[in-house]
Amino acid sequence: MTHYTMAIDLDSCIGCHSCAVVCKQENNVGLGTFYSKVLTIGPSGTYPDLEMYYLPVACQHCENPECVSVCPTGASYKREDGIVLVDHSKCIGCQYCVMACPYGVRTYDTAPDKGVIEKCTLCAHLVDDGKTPACVRHCPGQARFFGDADDPESDVSKMIAAKQTHKLTDVGNKPSVTYGLDKCTWKGGE
Amino acid sequence: MAVQWPLLIFSILLGASSGIMVFLGVGELKGTFKKVRFPLALAALILLVVGGCASAFHLGNIDRAFHILGNLNSGLSRELFGVGFAFIVLLIYTVLARKDYSGASKVLGVLALIAGIALPLIAGASYMMPARPIWNSATLPLMYLGTGLGLGLVIAAAVVCMKGDQKDSGFALKLALTGVAVSIATVIFFVIWMAMAPYPNASRSIDRLISGDLALEFWLGTVGFGMVLPAILVALSMKSAANPKPTSGATVAVAGAEGGNAGAASATAAGAKQAAGLLWATLICLLIGNVAIRIIMYAMATSVESLIY
Repeated sequence: MTHYTMAIDLDSCIGCHSCAVVCKQENNVGLGTFYSKVLTIGPSGTYPDLEMYYLPVACQHCENPECVSVCPTGASYKREDGIVLVDHSKCIGCQYCVMACPYGVRTYDTAPDKGVIEKCTLCAHLVDDGKTPACVRHCPGQARFFGDADDPESDVSKMIAAKQTHKLTDVGNKPSVTYGLDKCTWKGGE
Repeated sequence: MAVQWPLLIFSILLGASSGIMVFLGVGELKGTFKKVRFPLALAALILLVVGGCASAFHLGNIDRAFHILGNLNSGLSRELFGVGFAFIVLLIYTVLARKDYSGASKVLGVLALIAGIALPLIAGASYMMPARPIWNSATLPLMYLGTGLGLGLVIAAAVVCMKGDQKDSGFALKLALTGVAVSIATVIFFVIWMAMAPYPNASRSIDRLISGDLALEFWLGTVGFGMVLPAILVALSMKSAANPKPTSGATVAVAGAEGGNAGAASATAAGAKQAAGLLWATLICLLIGNVAIRIIMYAMATSVESLIY
């Protein structure tokens, strides 16, 4: 069965924030709201042995998404292909899912005509059209990989097989996004 | 995270309503508090409705609220069912309390007792999420139950002392004392949990309460107003009821002149009135304490990793 996910090669990420910018453009994300961001981790260590890397973050499209479990209306849901989405026509803006997300990657859109939850959609509208998410297509460092985690020949599976991989802290939600990092010491969860 | 004021107000009013329900249930089981059960049931009903309305202000799209039954596994949906059940029980009980249907009132009183215990536990449990280590403990729903009992039992005891049978005031005061003790104990358990919660981080460190930016809310609000003052005031109210101070020379004169039962009754009534005054003061302190511990509860509830927000 198809299980779409993303893998990010942190050794190739140059911290240009193109992914965050193109995400806002593609998804018409409002001012002050982000589906995706790039964090700077470090520098750490002692001079001259310093290291630093960039960590692009967004919804982790978890295997056991707590945001889906707690949503009282069923507005937050997980598709069969693994993408976690919010059905805005059902969202009552209770922000319960924002509380339940371990990563702080969901936000409440306070615009007068909205009052709903916004988050990364993994560009589901593009994926359904046979394309890849905007952040993957526009990454100048070619650090982002998208595909079917269950297909060993997919770009994402090949990247995961080739690198030392890590995930964000797992509190039972099983984040699906994988980070590859060989050149620095991972400072995150697992 | 930021303090969610509509939810904070909802939880306090829901707690007070639940505490009163417990009081009414105990009263029905013991066959006491008949004189005050109608005003108390009405007060619990109003608190529940006002609390429910307050919580609606937290929603971005109240017009889609009918979708709320879309996921019965959600804590929020369970909370809504709990509030609905308590509302129906209280409504019928309030109507019956105007007349003397002792059998039906007893059954509904027991249902109110069950709802009064279950509702704060359900409301508190809805916050138990692995993503927020400070909330992910049974001490949170217990704190909701304990603080609710403190508020509700104190309100109910004050009303009994003011308007109820004087013979019931002693038992009502014992219930108020129990409520305050449970409130203090459960808040202490919750604070201990906050100190030892997993995934330690500066944003949810106990140092914020002891000497950091939440020290005022903790020491003055939670400890001072939420624990020390209510304990002193409720103890004084029991003392007043047991050994009433003469309110005026007339009371003493009447007691002296009439002697016997009439004088004793007058002194008991005066003691109950003094106790009621002290219980209202206890309630104000408990309310401040409830607000303070909930401000702390929200402020300390940072997510395991706050990556974007």
